[in-house]
Amino acid sequence: MAVFLQSLISGILIGGVYALIGIGLTLIFGVMRVVNFAHGDIMMVGMYLTYLLFTLMGIDPFVSVLISFPLMFFFGGFLQKVFINRVLNAVSQNQILLTIGLGLIMSNTVMLIFTSDYKILTTSYSSSTIQVGGGVSISAPLLISFLITAAITGALGWFLLKTDTGQAIRATAQDRDAAQLMGINVSRMSVIAFGLGAALAGTAGALISPTYYIFPQVGGTFTLKAFVITVLGGMGSVVGATLGGILIGVTESMSAVYISSGWKDVVVFVLFLLVLLFKPSGLMGKSRT
Amino acid sequence: MRKHLLALGAVLALSPCLMAQKIGVINSMSGPEAPIGENITNGIKLADEDLKKKGINLQLVWEDDTGKPQISMSAMEKLATRDNVVGVVGPYTSACSNAVAKLAEKYRVPLLIPAAAKEEITRQGLKYVFRMNAPADKYASSLIDAASSLGKPKSIAFIYENTDFGTSTTKTAKEYVAKKGIQVVADEPYPKGAADYRSTLAKVKSKNPDLVFMVSYVADAILLMRQSKEVGLQPQAFLGAGAGFTTTEFAKERAISENVISCTQWTNDVNWPGAKEFGARYKAKFGKEPTYHAACAYASMMIMAETAKNAGGDRAKTRDALKSGKWNGVMGEVQFADYEGFTNQNNHQMLVQQILQGNYETVLPAKFATKKAVYPFPKWK
Repeated sequence: MAVFLQSLISGILIGGVYALIGIGLTLIFGVMRVVNFAHGDIMMVGMYLTYLLFTLMGIDPFVSVLISFPLMFFFGGFLQKVFINRVLNAVSQNQILLTIGLGLIMSNTVMLIFTSDYKILTTSYSSSTIQVGGGVSISAPLLISFLITAAITGALGWFLLKTDTGQAIRATAQDRDAAQLMGINVSRMSVIAFGLGAALAGTAGALISPTYYIFPQVGGTFTLKAFVITVLGGMGSVVGATLGGILIGVTESMSAVYISSGWKDVVVFVLFLLVLLFKPSGLMGKSRT
Repeated sequence: MRKHLLALGAVLALSPCLMAQKIGVINSMSGPEAPIGENITNGIKLADEDLKKKGINLQLVWEDDTGKPQISMSAMEKLATRDNVVGVVGPYTSACSNAVAKLAEKYRVPLLIPAAAKEEITRQGLKYVFRMNAPADKYASSLIDAASSLGKPKSIAFIYENTDFGTSTTKTAKEYVAKKGIQVVADEPYPKGAADYRSTLAKVKSKNPDLVFMVSYVADAILLMRQSKEVGLQPQAFLGAGAGFTTTEFAKERAISENVISCTQWTNDVNWPGAKEFGARYKAKFGKEPTYHAACAYASMMIMAETAKNAGGDRAKTRDALKSGKWNGVMGEVQFADYEGFTNQNNHQMLVQQILQGNYETVLPAKFATKKAVYPFPKWK
């Protein structure tokens, strides 16, 4: 029972961070219909930003979110304005090639600067835990990052539902042409959406860095993960991405215990295929025609 | 005319002694294995200095294999046929060494491998292939022997990355514990680079093993130990099979690395002749601590160059001299023997070390120990 609870709890907590990565990707897709294959690399940039802030200025990784969130927002906005914007109406292969290329440039630039060595952030609480009783413990840094994730998701929900800009973004996501006819500046909404997506990915990177390790090629793994989460939850659905993230986290954790850690990726992809077979639009997705 | 011929004959006979002694080096100087390859390069550079001091006219021919077996093989072809070297030291990785070994046999060039672990390399009866370091099976057996001599472990859990390195080391370890009557209660290969090992470790914890044996590179080693602490995994000993568990990065993580036991081919505090001095010299010259690879490479080059010189630059004679010789230096006593299916294998004494107060201390075998081992593993704070 303790093993079950333990793996359920760590699955949910790690799933929270996955969700944050997925939300960023789904937001970008929802507004622009662009699948961002550089998403994991943007997250990697966020990790290195956190690493720099920590080693050079001694800023705690969790506090540094306050700095990296706006910085990553501008970075994403810049990418959108300079690169993505030009291919918005191009065929999707071109968009894919562009984002893959951007990701390659990011990871290789980082590799030139920092070399390909693994970097490990060690904070005073990196290996501290909270005992819940019954032999179950919760990793303190994971719990904090889960709470921050929850807060950010809540704030994002409020922003999208209640503010004018948020509503404009949603309108753009629903129907780009109609939104434009209603006087919404869709290209500005795209910049904001991509900025937000990048900021969320960067934040996920910052949140995971005290418990994970940092290296230039880390992005690939997370791009794949974000992609699975987004499609699983339904492309463009923020609630779906949250659900998808936690589902993947728990599935990984459970299959590591009850099948084998070597097989957990297989289980995740089988689950993914099953969802695609029986509900091709994803868990929360509406099929578009 | 006759005089001239005599003179010419004398020159020809003497020439191997006058000409520089050509020895090839194959190493991973660039590519993914370069950080460790650097240690081998530096070790050989120190050997070169010492050999020059001894008046040995040595000419090293350097070849970079970038960690790829095919490049390693073409380097060997070139050294054997074009450069006409007397012998070759290297390459580093198991894959490269295994490929090059067969070529060395074909061209009859003595090959001394300093630090590749795969057992098979010296298990195929190759006459021209010699190995300095102890092969992979020794990693597991020396650790398990150490744990058995310190306590009475009855069960063991294996956690290892599902790569060649992880699975092969674990395979020999499993065979060894079966002989020793220790029960395997968990066998957990993991995909390298997973973010979360907590559930695996929780499962291992529920089996309550006496020993936890891990095979990982440095980043995973740190994550695994951090998360072991989180879930409260509390065996009698954490055993790390070399690699990530023998690095300074790992030792620096004091909160989780303290008291972890691992094994190595060499440390700079062992009382083998010149080991301490070698460590200090290396640090002064290159600005960092040497790994065991550096010491293996240094000793290999010293032996190869001196043997080749005494053999007058003849490959077959060098080979015979390597086979019959005996040395004592920074790697302790070296002798290339045939035993348990191995040929020309230095039956090297592995050292078991433990991180105590943030430093690697040799704890076993007793005659090389600098500190007493802490056993069982203290309760997590």
